[in-house]
Amino acid sequence: MAGSDLFTGSLDLIILKALSWGPMHGYAVGRWIRTSTSDALTLQEGALYPALHRLERRGFLDEEWGMTDTNREAKFYRLTPAGRKALRAETARWQSYSQMMTAVLAAARP
Amino acid sequence: MKRAFRVPSSGGSRRDVEREIELHLQLRAREFEATGMSPEEARRAALDAFGDRSAVETEVAGIHRDTIRVRQRREWLGELRQDLSVGARMLRRAPGFAIVALLTLALGIGANTAIFGVIRSVLLRPLPYPHAEQLVQIWEDHRALGRAEPEWLAPPDFFDWRDQNKTFASMAAYGGFGADLTGDGDPESLNGLSVSGNYFDVLGAKPDVGRLFTMSDDDANAERVVVLSHAFWERRFGADPAIVGRRLTLNGNQWTVVGVLSDRFRAPAQIAVPDFVAPMRRPADSRCRRGCVTWHAIGRLAPGVSLAAAQADLNRIAARIAVESPSTNAKVGAWLIPLQEQITGSTRPALVAISVAVALVLLIGCVNLANLLLVRGAARSREIGVRAALGAGRGRVVRQLLTENVLLAVAGGVLGLVLGIAGTRVLAALVPAGIRQVQEIHVDAQVLGFAVGITLLSAALFGLVPAIHAARAGLMSSLRQTSAQSGRQANALRGMLVVTQLSLAVVLLIGAGLLLRSFLAMQRTDLGYRESGVYFSSLAFPQARYKDQAQTLAAIEDLLTRLRANPAVKTAEATDVPPLAGGGDQDMTTVPVGSTPLPGQPSTMWYRSVSPGYLPAMHVRLVAGRWLSEADRVGPPRVALINEYSARRFWPNQNPVGREFVAGHRPDSPRITVVGIVASTRSDGANAPYKPELFLPLEQSPPGFVTLVLEPARDVASLTAALRQALHEVDPLIPADAVQPIDTLVGDMVALPRLYALLVGLFAATALLLAAVGVYGVMAYSVAQRRREIGVRLALGAAPSHVARMVLGSGGRLAAIGLGVGLGGALLTGQLIGKLLYGVSPYDAATFVIVPVILGLATIVAAWLPARRAMQVDPLVAIREE
Repeated sequence: MAGSDLFTGSLDLIILKALSWGPMHGYAVGRWIRTSTSDALTLQEGALYPALHRLERRGFLDEEWGMTDTNREAKFYRLTPAGRKALRAETARWQSYSQMMTAVLAAARP
Repeated sequence: MKRAFRVPSSGGSRRDVEREIELHLQLRAREFEATGMSPEEARRAALDAFGDRSAVETEVAGIHRDTIRVRQRREWLGELRQDLSVGARMLRRAPGFAIVALLTLALGIGANTAIFGVIRSVLLRPLPYPHAEQLVQIWEDHRALGRAEPEWLAPPDFFDWRDQNKTFASMAAYGGFGADLTGDGDPESLNGLSVSGNYFDVLGAKPDVGRLFTMSDDDANAERVVVLSHAFWERRFGADPAIVGRRLTLNGNQWTVVGVLSDRFRAPAQIAVPDFVAPMRRPADSRCRRGCVTWHAIGRLAPGVSLAAAQADLNRIAARIAVESPSTNAKVGAWLIPLQEQITGSTRPALVAISVAVALVLLIGCVNLANLLLVRGAARSREIGVRAALGAGRGRVVRQLLTENVLLAVAGGVLGLVLGIAGTRVLAALVPAGIRQVQEIHVDAQVLGFAVGITLLSAALFGLVPAIHAARAGLMSSLRQTSAQSGRQANALRGMLVVTQLSLAVVLLIGAGLLLRSFLAMQRTDLGYRESGVYFSSLAFPQARYKDQAQTLAAIEDLLTRLRANPAVKTAEATDVPPLAGGGDQDMTTVPVGSTPLPGQPSTMWYRSVSPGYLPAMHVRLVAGRWLSEADRVGPPRVALINEYSARRFWPNQNPVGREFVAGHRPDSPRITVVGIVASTRSDGANAPYKPELFLPLEQSPPGFVTLVLEPARDVASLTAALRQALHEVDPLIPADAVQPIDTLVGDMVALPRLYALLVGLFAATALLLAAVGVYGVMAYSVAQRRREIGVRLALGAAPSHVARMVLGSGGRLAAIGLGVGLGGALLTGQLIGKLLYGVSPYDAATFVIVPVILGLATIVAAWLPARRAMQVDPLVAIREE
């Protein structure tokens, strides 16, 4: 992914996590990522949109046009049941993966 | 977050993606502004943070491109499913309508499919020969001699045409060859063909086993060889693979089998699948001279040569022969007929007429359905209005209605296909057996495709106009409860449809009427001889064993004597060619002595050899002179009977009895004395013209084959037994054909006209019924619509009979217009069935009077029921209703 230091697939997981709180439009997702990672993630914000649309196409997200708090028309994304399931599965996979990586990296010299 | 309403999602369209990203940039810029940046700086910062905007937009649009299509399709399918279930529900709720519609469609589609199946097999599919379009049947043209039909070829003419032409790739001659197979199981009489050596090359036929012929087989001194048809090889020899080299005794001669034809082979002759084919083995100087027409011929045009060019080429040669041999060939030309036309020509007018009839029935059916749907559409305007109010666009409503119609059409099409498959079998009977075998007529992918095509066409025909109309009317009336304007429009449209129906029905009814009258006329025709009570049996005396005429004659007389002695036989007579045998008799040049025949007439009489008692036994009437008698033996004086037609032609205004004529044009041609005149008879059937006929005593002109004419004393079984016994005593090697009652020959003669009349009559009756239903539907609906008006009229003192007259009057107006248009159409189509008619003009006055009366009556009945309902309207109830 252009301009990103993410591991493959982690952006998708982050988006799913962001939307697990409820429907959001793209900007809000981006803002949530920035705040929740304390701006530590170097990410071209534009990269968010292909990821969103790809998740939508895979059936993990539903789109819906609605009004923002400031009364502007915006496209909202919402987790579908499939998206929620994917979030659970990916979270579990990520956790076991990171534990494994942590263990490997902390391992003693053979 | 507030979401006021859901807008139908438009997926990832480019515009939506741009809006989405623009929003992101604006919100992000505002965030930067909050940190103290100027709006321009904030915008730039937002863009920097975002990255390459247009690349992102392109990428996102790419992600969705396929999805949009899939979603649209899914939505469309969802709506279709909804439409279908609504449609099915509507049809279930109106079973009467659904049944009428289904039957109408099934009948129309079925009949059209069936006739298409036959037409395709008979008229459209090329003949089973390579480059069949190059094949032509070659005839002599004797029209200048007064013979309307194409004539066979004289061998010398054939040889000249074959050798001198510049337009044919090849040319072959053939003729029938009846032969008795003996010495190998039961004797059997076979139907064979005798052909020139290049016959199979001209047709492009290939053998299944062994070989076919070469020109050297055609020589008079060549070994006698024969090829068998696949069917005969299987039937008689159990498809013996070692058949080549086997010797067969045909007419007493030994013939060697050299090959077997493919089972797909069809001969372009009356007998499409002959049992065997043998070379003619004729030398060029055949005994049959010019004027002796005995051969058939086919030719293959050289590539690129037109029929007209070949015709001109042969006529040029014929003109030269006419100069060389004026006595025989003065007015003889060539007559070429493309083989396809030759074989299917007689069937074409009937098939075309019937296909027009079925197309009209389908059309009337569709118009009827359109009408019914219009009425239903009006009744459903409320429902449609509600749908429209709920947000369905006109396109959506039209689609809903069209789906119902397609549902109907498909159900009708499936039923129709079933009917069509059954109907194909019935219609196959229309096609005379021959090169187009009935079993070749079947339903396949092409026929299925046709059925599907006309089903969809019907759906569009009967469905589109009412659907659009209903949608428009429905949308309008959702705004205004009653819409007089759209009502009037609908009535006009319905009136037009009914007029169309009525006029089409008139055309059909008149066609059916003409065919019916033609059939009746044919059945009433007096043939001039008895039509029942006698039986025919054909025998052949092979030349190999019956070397001279005396021997043949002795055998025939022996046979007749034995039969007459049998108590089971009342009468036994003989002729060479029985009536209704499908031609086969021969004509003889006759020159009356001391008389001038009518000018411009053929100088030939058609002759039959008959036993003295044959004509009385056939109940032919003697007009003048005496019958032939047993005393008219071999040798002079040679005597004959002629028919009245010959008498008038050859001895105009004279009494021919006692006069002489010369039979033939050679110096040694015999002189024959006319001893009596018999009434003219329809020897070739009711629809064939009288011919100049001549009857010679069997004893003075013994043929090589004979048909016994038998009248049973008791029953057919004992007659057959008597024949078998007598034949066994005279010559056990001659096979006895089953006896055939003359009744079946007479019946066969009218079988086709009867079938035409029946089929077209059936279609016409359907058309009449449909038209009547159409009239009824329109009148009933208009009465229902005008209930209030009628109520007011009645309340104001109009007599109920006046109201009824008003309704009947508007029905009558429709009928009058329909009849007028229909009669005009019928006059135009008279030409089309002219060829199928016998004894009735295509503009037959009676038919043109009776049909309008029938249709008028049907219209009155159809309009009467609604009229009566109008009379029974209760003014109080009707006025209060709205």
